[in-house]
Amino acid sequence: MDVFANLALGFATVWKIVWWAPGFLQGAVSLPIPINILLCFVGCLVGTLIGVLPGVGPIATIAMLLPITFGLDPVGALIMLAGIYYGAQYGGSTTAILVNIPGEATSVVTTLDGHQMAKQGRAGVALGVAALGSFFAGSVATIVIAALGAPLTKLALLFGPAEYFSLMVMGLCFAVVLARGSILKAFCMIMLGLLLSTVGTDLETGQERMTFGFPPLADGIDFAVLAMGVFGFAEVLRNLENPETRDVVKTKIGKLLPSLSEIKQCINPVLRGTGVGAILGILPGNGAVLGPFASYTIEKKIAADPSRFGKGAIEGVAGPESANNAGAQTAFIPLLTLGIPPNAVMALMVGAMTIHGIIPGPQVMTKNPDLFWGMIASMWIGNLMLLVINLPLVGLWVKLLQVPYRLMFPAILIFCCIGIYSVNNQPVDVAFTAMFGLFGYILIKLGFEPAPMLLGFVLGRLMEEKLRQALIISRGSFMTFLERPISAGLLLVAVIVLVIALLPAMSKKRDEVFTE
Amino acid sequence: MSLNKIEQARGLRVRSPQDLAAGIFMILLAALALFLARDLPLGTLRQIGPGMLPKSFAVICAGLGVMLALTSLVYKGEQLQGFSWRGVIFVLGGAVLFGLTIRGFDIGPLKVPQLGLVVSGPIVVLVAGSAATDLRWKELIIFAIVMTTFCALLFKYALGLPIPLAPWLLGI
Repeated sequence: MDVFANLALGFATVWKIVWWAPGFLQGAVSLPIPINILLCFVGCLVGTLIGVLPGVGPIATIAMLLPITFGLDPVGALIMLAGIYYGAQYGGSTTAILVNIPGEATSVVTTLDGHQMAKQGRAGVALGVAALGSFFAGSVATIVIAALGAPLTKLALLFGPAEYFSLMVMGLCFAVVLARGSILKAFCMIMLGLLLSTVGTDLETGQERMTFGFPPLADGIDFAVLAMGVFGFAEVLRNLENPETRDVVKTKIGKLLPSLSEIKQCINPVLRGTGVGAILGILPGNGAVLGPFASYTIEKKIAADPSRFGKGAIEGVAGPESANNAGAQTAFIPLLTLGIPPNAVMALMVGAMTIHGIIPGPQVMTKNPDLFWGMIASMWIGNLMLLVINLPLVGLWVKLLQVPYRLMFPAILIFCCIGIYSVNNQPVDVAFTAMFGLFGYILIKLGFEPAPMLLGFVLGRLMEEKLRQALIISRGSFMTFLERPISAGLLLVAVIVLVIALLPAMSKKRDEVFTE
Repeated sequence: MSLNKIEQARGLRVRSPQDLAAGIFMILLAALALFLARDLPLGTLRQIGPGMLPKSFAVICAGLGVMLALTSLVYKGEQLQGFSWRGVIFVLGGAVLFGLTIRGFDIGPLKVPQLGLVVSGPIVVLVAGSAATDLRWKELIIFAIVMTTFCALLFKYALGLPIPLAPWLLGI
């Protein structure tokens, strides 16, 4: 089986040992360092940390840590960044259960029953079930990625520019539909992202576009500058205005391991949650956020006694948490196979790959098999680590929740500033970031949710390139997008999704889902 | 648009100031983009020019802005909240000061030498930290020193990034 040979390569990559001779010992001793495992561990730890802390999201953190990865090799860098991402999913559930605030947007559902369980003195069990369910889901999702990776990459090779363009249109349509808040506003954000992506030198003619004649803009708006301004600085401004009250559960956390009967109760919800989450996660346009909601709804529908939900039903924690983690993992599939990021965090991963000279897409698997399979293998190991980190360290996380925001945000700022400066060693970038911080703050004030903008921004350049190629091939005929069957199919899906979302009945339901 | 019930429309009036402002904001941005891109040739469909996509995106943005502004007359929505300038000035000001001092700058009569992280780090922490409403100076000063030391060790030594520490004092 190819899959096993590939996974073996992946695990070999993860176990890479680097001999490190500390400079201050003048090379007298050299120590073996399992560098990738270490980075995976650091990523998971940082991810859990930011997942636990409300007000610091994975988008800002990954943007902040991008410069740190410059000195690393690409495999290690991406392993660490991936660890931050799924670590944050684990950490988010801890905050949801203990403090009743979702540390992460996707752990909103967990607050419903998880916090109730905590109030009843079963916080430990809730945390345990969440961690075990997430671990199971993460493991399954890793296998799904490994199994689907190769065939999807082959499929991607059939894609021409027209198909790519249509696929991205579909992805953006999904992103509009699945964004929080108003559809019209999400649409605005996507288009604004696309518009911003056209700033800079035109690739074909070399003409400068919308740069104000300002040389630093000639290469376009730096991705890290935009991400850190809108998600780092603007988030700080938003949080400073809305101080949160954190009522950490005072009752004992209790035993962590669920009893046998509780495990039995959870097996089916975990299985269903994993399935639902994994499938939704593959969808382009952030399908992963739907996973926990879908899973919760399913569990409530098929439960013998639905009234228990919202009052500390263990299934209401196990199912959504599994769905959440499965979706978070399978969201890597579109990125790794097609090179199309499904959400803002994955858009950052594209940025990270590009900085390291890797062009995301089907060729990653053939050109950098160690990166592809190493990342997949690291995900499983990372999930195992998270299980180990999360449960025994719960006490520490609770302590961290008491760090006041007045100290947290200056720390975020100094990290952001150093990070931004290090991207190009350009002080002017820091000022630019501050400008985008103000821009992001205005967007927030106007009720826009900026995440889709980042996705549009990242996809923008690729879309323009593919559109131009497709139209050159078709000699200027837009019909090419409809004549080619795969492309037409993708566009059809995009239209159907938009139409369904705009139907009055559906948009009402959508509001319910996203405000629950 | 979401979450809002259609009021019994009796004449047009602003029912969602936030959406109206958002719509106008989109239109202004689109106008700026169209202005900046005015000289870029559109090209033809067969050979798309550099101006085609920026202009099309700008037109779509403007269209969406108009739609937003119109819906704000029909659907009831959020009020426009005021800005808290304290945060904007201190937080963003701190960042700008960091950018100005880390490698020095030279704008007209103003000249600042290359101060490096040893100075810029505490500046950003102290200035930004003043944005907090529950500010405690002593705590913040200690925190600024600790964070700067930590960042210097992490970025300069552990990660080897070429960030100036204090060229005027230490020569690095």
